[in-house]
Amino acid sequence: MTLEIIPADAFTIQELTDLYNQTRVDYLVPMPMNADRLNEYVKDFDVDLHQSCVACDTNGQVLGLSMLGFRHQTAWITRLGVLPAARRTGAGSALMNSMLANAEKLGAKETHLEVIRNNEPAYKLFLKNGFVEKDTYLVMRHAPRPITASMHGEVTWLNFDEALEKLASYPHHLTWINACESMHNSPNTEGLHIRLPNGDSGWLVYRNTKFTLRSTLSHLIMHTEQGDAGEVGIQLLSHLHTHYPHHDTYAENIHEKDRHLPAFQSLGYFTNFSRVEMRHQQK
Amino acid sequence: MAKILYIEDIQDNITLVEKIVKSRGHEFLFARNAETGLELAFTSQPDLILLDLGLPDADGQTLSVWLKGNPLLASTPIIVLTAWPEEVVRQTVSAYNLNGYLCKPFSLMDLVNMIDSVLGAQSS
Repeated sequence: MTLEIIPADAFTIQELTDLYNQTRVDYLVPMPMNADRLNEYVKDFDVDLHQSCVACDTNGQVLGLSMLGFRHQTAWITRLGVLPAARRTGAGSALMNSMLANAEKLGAKETHLEVIRNNEPAYKLFLKNGFVEKDTYLVMRHAPRPITASMHGEVTWLNFDEALEKLASYPHHLTWINACESMHNSPNTEGLHIRLPNGDSGWLVYRNTKFTLRSTLSHLIMHTEQGDAGEVGIQLLSHLHTHYPHHDTYAENIHEKDRHLPAFQSLGYFTNFSRVEMRHQQK
Repeated sequence: MAKILYIEDIQDNITLVEKIVKSRGHEFLFARNAETGLELAFTSQPDLILLDLGLPDADGQTLSVWLKGNPLLASTPIIVLTAWPEEVVRQTVSAYNLNGYLCKPFSLMDLVNMIDSVLGAQSS
């Protein structure tokens, strides 16, 4: 099939949203968006719509899309999808080639992406295009529930600037969606710091997003500065959920070997699915 | 006759469930996103809510928290209809204190039985 690749900024956000939703209609984990959410996604994650692409056939029929973010010589491919009826036509490969070419044009030394574990067609496409598996991250949920842990420690709530200052000191790799830049782009970023009676300490940075009617917590990043990560984690999460007892919580991209994982689990967090981060070195 | 609200963004699913619900003599309402679904639930006070987890504005888990957080809707049963993997749905229904689930694709009889079962439990 002859394909045409068009910059995504030739389309409206609504058109891109409709196309994205159609590409994900049979996805492993359906996660549709509306135009407001996609617009926010573009802003939060520094997606460059001019470098992002839509694949069309020669009649102008849209077949799929892919988006590209760029920061500090690193590119990020996201929202890549092809309409069910247009799969196995080369549209996915054409979009991938365009993304890598655009990443190189922007000066990227490395390109990252995340794929849901067990999405074999996508995983194979990425392997074929030179991506290598890096790490596995968990996407977890927490429903509001009473806190049963005994709470202690001296808590300091962090405003936007204070939370970002803590995050800047994070010693481990953060995937694109939880990276400092992504958290900086959201006005909803805040956090808390805790010091336990035994001197152990740590912090938790997150987003507190206000919807029209309610709020949710998301994008949790936790760090133990000193001491037992399990106990520091339990105390941070207990204070967070006591402070926000009615908030639903969505913790994305927690490393599968994160030392705080037992704390998440003991507070009732459960895994929705896992993602594999893959990286491509520019030649 | 019960009043059943279905919150789902895909029209084909709405059409299918509408036929099943109406064939059993129930009143059928629907909303295509979380915010409209929340408003409709408040104003219409349904006897049962059928909820998709993948919604375009806020997902079904979050919406269920908002629904149950309102005293008028706290006891309204919620059944999840979703294409998510069954183990995840089972955990979700348990964690969010929901009343049941069906994984897509489900049969007509599965849905009828689930609705009858949940409404029967409510009335008894």
